[in-house]
Amino acid sequence: MPENSVILGEDIREQIEEVKEADILIGVPSYNNARTIVHVVKAVEAGLSKYFPDNKSILVNSDGGSVDGTMEVVKETTVDFASMLVRHQLGGYRKFVTPYHGVPGKGSAFRTIFEIARVLKVKACAVVDSDLRSITPEWIELLIKPILNEGFDYVSPYYLRHKYDGTITNTIVYPITRALYGKRIRQPIGGDFGFSGRLASFYLTKDVWDTNVARFGIDIWMTTTAVANAFKVCQAFLGAKIHDAKDPGADLSAMLHQVVSSVFDLTEEYFPVWSKVSNSEPVSTFGFVYSVGLEPIKVNLDGMIEKFRLGAQELSSFYESFLPAELLRHLAEMAGKTKDSFSIPDDLWVEIIYNFALAYHRRVMSREHLLKSLTPLYLGKVASFVIETWESTAEEVEKRLEELCIAFEKAKTHLAEKWEQQV
Amino acid sequence: MKNISEHILTEPRKDFLQRLVAFMPNLLTCLIIFVFGFIAAWIVKYIVLKIANLLRVDQFCAKVGITETFGKVGIKEPPARLLSRIFYWLVVIIFVIIALYTLKVPAIEVLLEKFFLYLPDLFVAALLIIVGYILGNFLGRTALIASVNAGVKFSRLLSKGVKAVVVLLALVMALEQLGIGSGTVIVAFTILFGGFVFALSLSFGLGGKDIARQYLEGKVKGESEEKDDLTHV
Repeated sequence: MPENSVILGEDIREQIEEVKEADILIGVPSYNNARTIVHVVKAVEAGLSKYFPDNKSILVNSDGGSVDGTMEVVKETTVDFASMLVRHQLGGYRKFVTPYHGVPGKGSAFRTIFEIARVLKVKACAVVDSDLRSITPEWIELLIKPILNEGFDYVSPYYLRHKYDGTITNTIVYPITRALYGKRIRQPIGGDFGFSGRLASFYLTKDVWDTNVARFGIDIWMTTTAVANAFKVCQAFLGAKIHDAKDPGADLSAMLHQVVSSVFDLTEEYFPVWSKVSNSEPVSTFGFVYSVGLEPIKVNLDGMIEKFRLGAQELSSFYESFLPAELLRHLAEMAGKTKDSFSIPDDLWVEIIYNFALAYHRRVMSREHLLKSLTPLYLGKVASFVIETWESTAEEVEKRLEELCIAFEKAKTHLAEKWEQQV
Repeated sequence: MKNISEHILTEPRKDFLQRLVAFMPNLLTCLIIFVFGFIAAWIVKYIVLKIANLLRVDQFCAKVGITETFGKVGIKEPPARLLSRIFYWLVVIIFVIIALYTLKVPAIEVLLEKFFLYLPDLFVAALLIIVGYILGNFLGRTALIASVNAGVKFSRLLSKGVKAVVVLLALVMALEQLGIGSGTVIVAFTILFGGFVFALSLSFGLGGKDIARQYLEGKVKGESEEKDDLTHV
């Protein structure tokens, strides 16, 4: 009988008893994904058969109570191996389909996956989203092989993205994570990860399963926990990530609040770690990295600048309670500029983010108010970035982001000094 | 004549002196309780301040925005010290009331009884005003940030409106609790609030009819703000 089986149902415990041990586990969290999960399950199964035919493998679908028959679809999905020139899994392959327990969210789904991995003593695990359109069998190879063959504990995804895709990642999450923890993990909130069985067990020891980590912050939590606890990390180039649009109803400020609060919560927890880190270093990257031509995309620059102006004017008295006067003066200056001369320099942006982090840490006001008030400033930075890089290639944009990251790293000492000071 | 003078002057004087002599111990007890009350209040104030500092009340109030709110209404004293002063005056008032009771003057007793009966209402009213003010500030700020993020031009005005309505509502509830012109206050509030909403509808309908038309057209025909293809996460 598995230990700590509180989070596992009776049926799944029986299946675990039958299997006893496994080498590889692939987790697929889901909630009403019947439309898209077939492709994901097929890709996983083909990937396991093609690249790990001799390993005993398990696919776990951890479901949040779907009403569209997602779990049934997963059970019934089979792969036509002959058409893919792949032979059947020799090491053994099983599918576990189970609802997860706990607070609704991707984190709770992952907890069930970690628990099954721990009980089955698996060597390598991966988790992939159930709404992926672009997943191929090669993703499984890239997420698992660095763990099995190279001794890594954590594989972060590195997707091929448009230069203006993932602007919260590019302007906030990547630079601050890199500056704080010293590892250049380009997409720390990617969503599809590989990790060792050892790390899965370590995740389970953390008491976060009733917090926002279980609801929405699991991605950055997994990356930061791995890095901050000195697990061996790398990244794998997976190509393009095409998936269903993320909750089209959710507004930008709510999204920004979720992402940034997850990052800042970890900043609080790992102060003793990041305060000792200086500079950053690249991490090993696996996979065949390539780039494609840039499709022109529509960007509403006027709308973003207008919202920045509105925020700088209407929220000025609110910002006064936690942003330095000099910074506010700069913001007012920017708000008065025309589109042609509009620019938020890196140093100013870094100062904004670090001051928000300090205000969040010191709880100078409602944290939700604080982070939602970042929205107009963020839009200003994105607008400034777009203006500056409109003609740039993807490589040039990466170089530009490198400069931003260096600005974050340079100002980090100042953040660490202020962190422990009282208000 | 002598009897008359005794009846008019001597007896009342004797009576007065007797009453005064009888009253003196009460007065003395009253004064002693009064003085003791101030000493006890000072000790309580000292203890409360120490405990408040130990519990980091000032830091907590700064974090949750109470200090900021107090500052806006002109209270610059640190919350811990303010709390200790409140306790000081509470103890003083309690001792003053006890002291006045020891005088055993019927008029004072009736007044004190009325005061005691009114105290809970006074407390609830004060609480309503404080909670209303803090809630008004919070909701006003929520409205401000949400409207700025939605791109509403008159965000600050909207925020002030939300705050004013909440504070006004709390004030009306407090006055009703105290029984001060309860009927009049509610009628006045209804008229004022109704008028405010009517004025808002009218000004939006007339002044902002084009905006309203554009907004509704956008909603009905799907012609809203120009969207872009940026993916933020």
